[in-house]
Amino acid sequence: MTFDPVTLATPFFILLVIAEILAAKFAKTRTHYEARDTATSLAMGLGSTVAGVLIGGLVAGVTLWVYQHRVFTIPMTAVWAWLAIFFLEDLTYYGFHRLSHERRFWWAAHVNHHSSQHYNLSTALRQTWTGGINGTWLLWMPLAFLGFPPAMIAIEKGISLVYQFWIHTEAIKRLPAPVEAVFNTPSHHRVHHARNPRYLDRNYAGILIIWDRMFGTFEPELDEEPPRYGIVKNLGDFNIVRVAFHEWIGIGRDLTKARSARDVLGYVFGPPGWRPDGEGTTSEDLRRAWRERVGAETDG
Amino acid sequence: MDLSFLIKTGASGLAIALLVALAAWARIARPTPELDEAAVRDILAFEFPGVQAAACWIAADGRGAILRAGDEAFIVYRIGDGYVARSAPWALLAKAAPKNGAIDLRLADVGAPRARFKLGEGAAWPPAFEAAA
Repeated sequence: MTFDPVTLATPFFILLVIAEILAAKFAKTRTHYEARDTATSLAMGLGSTVAGVLIGGLVAGVTLWVYQHRVFTIPMTAVWAWLAIFFLEDLTYYGFHRLSHERRFWWAAHVNHHSSQHYNLSTALRQTWTGGINGTWLLWMPLAFLGFPPAMIAIEKGISLVYQFWIHTEAIKRLPAPVEAVFNTPSHHRVHHARNPRYLDRNYAGILIIWDRMFGTFEPELDEEPPRYGIVKNLGDFNIVRVAFHEWIGIGRDLTKARSARDVLGYVFGPPGWRPDGEGTTSEDLRRAWRERVGAETDG
Repeated sequence: MDLSFLIKTGASGLAIALLVALAAWARIARPTPELDEAAVRDILAFEFPGVQAAACWIAADGRGAILRAGDEAFIVYRIGDGYVARSAPWALLAKAAPKNGAIDLRLADVGAPRARFKLGEGAAWPPAFEAAA
């Protein structure tokens, strides 16, 4: 019997979604659910579980191999070891998450988590089907190489995933300031899911928001600028195959237009929205244009 | 895949069906009244900031709209309780043929390959946008 935080938490995920829907219905909390959007998010979650099983053997095998070549042997029973992996895993998640937004090859797998125009607990379950094949799980291998047992890494990853479920809600406005200062909260993560230029590619945190504060990617939620959820170009239907694969197909189409090795690299590993002629709509392009507009309005 | 995985997957499928049914029953989607020109221009201002479109055409069912700025068209249409916006060459829209009281646009965009706009009774297509061109 293995300890899997996500499996254990799944009944609570379902109960919390029910509670959020009922709270919106009867207590008029600031929450919206649209049935087809909900169906798409939940079906993506189920598909992600299946995809995880298909790739799970490979991930486990590689992790075990790396662990066999470890530098130290870290005891799973030591409190300091759990404290260490809590911070190291969360830092790894920050790196993974940032890569998954800032480079298209990894964004292609992660984009579906952001493709809902809603932000509710069902959005948390809109997970990737292709995250295994783009190799981001390799980012956790240094932990095994350091000597953290693979089971410990898996448990900590599960704890992070479970933590990140409850923050996908509009029902909680802000938590006490000390909590907002240290932890990823619904407010911080609403910013992360927003497509307003001010909020693009911000707040990559898993559990601790301190990484964003340290590495300059933190953006607070402003009451005067409510988040608009989704992606820069929202999807035109609820087709689950489109949700899962549209960015991969987009990469394929763009590669047919590539005229040089630079184009190929840019289309695959450049930031999402990159174009060879510089006329693209990357997050930085959009943020720069927004700053210029805001500056012009202020100056005017 | 073992039996327990199949049972868990089946149970998850059932749970999804129940949650979707609950979400539909609750009727807590965002309100989406028929689009008017002010709403369309609000959407345009967010989606295509800085674009000045002089004329706006709204579909007969209020679920979509088209704006024109020179040779460029900006289309907005409802998906669920949200909206999707894209730009396309005006020529693409102009040559579309009405069918069954609607215009069915095929866009070169894998994320939004098709947009449908309902035409009013006897409405002309394309809309007269010369003033905006």
